[in-house]
Amino acid sequence: MEMFFQALMSILTFEGLLTILVGVTAGLFIGSLPGLTATMALAVLLPFTFTMSPLQGLMALGAVYMGSIYGGAFTAILINTPGTPSSIATTFDGYPMARQGKAYEALVAATIASVVGGIVGVAFLLLLAPPLARLAVVFGPAEMFWVAMLGLTLVASLSSGSLLKGLLGGCFGILLSTIGVSPVGGETRFNFGIPALQGGIELIVALIGLFVVPEVLSMASQGRGALPESGKLEGGVGIAFRKMSRHIFGKPVNLIRSCIIGQIIAIIPGAGGNVTSLVAYNEAKRFSGKPDSFGKGNVDGVVASESSNNVMVAGSMVPLLTLGIPGAPADAIILGVLLMHGLRPGIDLFTETGVLTNGFVLSMGFAALFLLPVGLLGGRLIHRVVVKTPFYFMLPSIVMVTILGTYALRNSFLDVGLMLLLGTIGYFLRLIGIRAAPIVLGLILGIIAENGYVQTMLISIADPIPWLGLVENPLSKVLVALVLLSAATSLLPSWLERSGRMAKTTPDENPDRVNPKEEGKP
Amino acid sequence: MIVRLNTDLAAGILGLAFAALLWLPREEMGRLSIVFPRAMIILTVLVALALVVKAFVKPAERQIEIEGSPLRLVIAIAILFAWWYAIGLIGFLMATAIAFFGFTWFLARIEMSVSARRLIMWVPIMALLIGVFYVAFTEVLSVRLPTGSIWS
Repeated sequence: MEMFFQALMSILTFEGLLTILVGVTAGLFIGSLPGLTATMALAVLLPFTFTMSPLQGLMALGAVYMGSIYGGAFTAILINTPGTPSSIATTFDGYPMARQGKAYEALVAATIASVVGGIVGVAFLLLLAPPLARLAVVFGPAEMFWVAMLGLTLVASLSSGSLLKGLLGGCFGILLSTIGVSPVGGETRFNFGIPALQGGIELIVALIGLFVVPEVLSMASQGRGALPESGKLEGGVGIAFRKMSRHIFGKPVNLIRSCIIGQIIAIIPGAGGNVTSLVAYNEAKRFSGKPDSFGKGNVDGVVASESSNNVMVAGSMVPLLTLGIPGAPADAIILGVLLMHGLRPGIDLFTETGVLTNGFVLSMGFAALFLLPVGLLGGRLIHRVVVKTPFYFMLPSIVMVTILGTYALRNSFLDVGLMLLLGTIGYFLRLIGIRAAPIVLGLILGIIAENGYVQTMLISIADPIPWLGLVENPLSKVLVALVLLSAATSLLPSWLERSGRMAKTTPDENPDRVNPKEEGKP
Repeated sequence: MIVRLNTDLAAGILGLAFAALLWLPREEMGRLSIVFPRAMIILTVLVALALVVKAFVKPAERQIEIEGSPLRLVIAIAILFAWWYAIGLIGFLMATAIAFFGFTWFLARIEMSVSARRLIMWVPIMALLIGVFYVAFTEVLSVRLPTGSIWS
C-alpha cells in the first residue's frame, strides 16, 4: 500500500500530469489516422522516452496506448474508417449515427465509454492481476482454436441479411489469412510467385482497403462528403454530454457487460482488442431489446465497442506484468521497455519495483480520465473539420492519408496496391451483399484458429483420433458448449422468423451505409 | 443505376472461383501447411454451392443498385490505381501533387464550374495539406517514402 501511495504521489506532480496529457494527445492524434495503430504509436514515440526517468517513460507510453486506442473511434465515427483495428465495431453504429446528424453524440458516447472502460481496466489490473494471470496460462492451442470459433459465431450478427453470404465473407477472410508463410509448417502458401506476398496480407492493409476505399468510391460516385450538412453540431458540449451520460449510466448493463467481456478476452494472449470490441458489440446486440436497430445508429453499439477496447488496454497488461506474455502486439513494446529498464515480469514487479509498476498502472488510469477533456475538445474540433471541409478536398485527403498509413506499415509499395485492390473488390462485394466486417473478422481469427488447430493436431498425432485433442481438456469442453450456445442464440431468431413463430422484422440495412431516407433526420 | 443480377448466384460463383484459385497450387505443400487451408477451401466450396442452390430455389436480391454515377465510379477507381502507379514511377511527392490536384478538380466539377482562377487559389491549400503530411511522415515518423523509379 505504501508503494501504491508513493506511486500516486509521483504521478500527481506537474511534470507527471503533463507527461500523461501530452501522451494522451499524441496517442489520440496517431490513433485517429487510418493505418497508424496503437503499436505504431508506441513504436514511434518510444525513442522520446529514452531520455526520461523509467517511471516517466512508462507513464508516457501508457498514456499513448490509451489515447491511440480511443483515437481510432474518431475516424470510425466521422468517416467510417477505423483508425485502429480495435475500432472496427465502432463504425457499425457510429457512422450511421454521424450520417443522421448525431456525430457529436456518438463521439461523446465513445468518450464516456472509453473513460469508464479505461478506469475499469486499471481497477481490474490493480486488484485481480495475480488470479487472472493464472487463468491466462490454461489457454492452450485447443482452447485458442475454440476461442477463434467462438469469435466466428459473430458472423451471424455481422452478416446483416444473408447468413450464407456472411459465412462466405468469413471464409474469404480466413483464406486471405493463410496467404504467406505457414505459421506451423513454415512453407510459403498462395503467393502466386510474388515474393512480397510471403509476409501475408497485413490485417491493417485489408482493414483500410475494405472499410475506407468502398466508402471513398461511394462518396465519389455520389458526389457527397462523409457527413451531410445535418451532421453539424447543434447545442453545446454540455447538452450532448448530459444526454449521453443519462443514456449510458441510466441503463448501465450494456456498459458493465462490455467491460467484463473486454477484461476476460484481454487476458487471453493473442486475442487482442480487435476481437474484444466485436464480441462486446455482438453481445450488446444479442441482449438488446431492439437488435434490429443495431447497424443503423444505435448508440449502445458504440458504447459496447469503445468501453471493451479500452478495458483491453490495461486488461492485456495482466498476463504481461505477471507472466511476461504480451496479450496484444502493442504490449510487446511495453514489455521491451520494461526489460530495457531492468524490470522482469513476475511477482517481483509488484514487490521489489512496486512503485514503478503501480505508477505505470495508475498512469493509465489518469490517462483514461484525461480522455474526457482531450476527447471532448478534440472530438469537437475534428468533427468541425470533417463537416466544414468541402468533399472535393476531403476525399483526396482521405486517400492520401490511407496511402501514407498503408505504406508506413511495412514500407511496402505492394501493400498500397493490395489495399486499393481489396477495397475495390470490397465495393463490389458490398453490392452483392458480402460485407467487409465478416471478411475482416475471418482475417483476424483465421491466424488464431490455424495456430490452435495445427498445434493441437501435432500434439495429438500419436492418438488414434487426433482431432479429439480439440475437446480433451475441460476448458475446451466449456468453450465448445459456449460456441454451440452462441451459434444457437444467433441462429434461433432468424429460424423462428422464417418459420413464422416470430413476427418478421425489417431486414437490416447495410451497416456500412445508412438508409438515404434517414439522412438528414435531426 | 439498377443492374439486374441474382446476388446469391453471383456470390456463389465468386466463392467457387476463389476456392478454385487457391485449390490449384495446394499440391506442392506439406501436410502441416495445407491441413487448415484445405479445410477452409472445402468449407468455402460448400457455402458457395449452398448459395448457388439457393439462387435457383429461393433467390434473395435480383438486382443491385450503384448509387450515384457509374462513370464517376469508374473514373475514381482509375484515379486511385493511377495514383498508386505514379508513386512508384515518379515518387510520392510529385505523384500525390498531380493526383490530388486532378482528383480535387474532378470532384469539384460535380457541384460547380471550376474556373482557372479558382484552381490557382486552391494550389496553396493543396500544397499545405500534402506538405504537412509529407513532413509528418518523413521527418516525425521517419518513413522513407518512395522517390520514384524514373529518377534512379
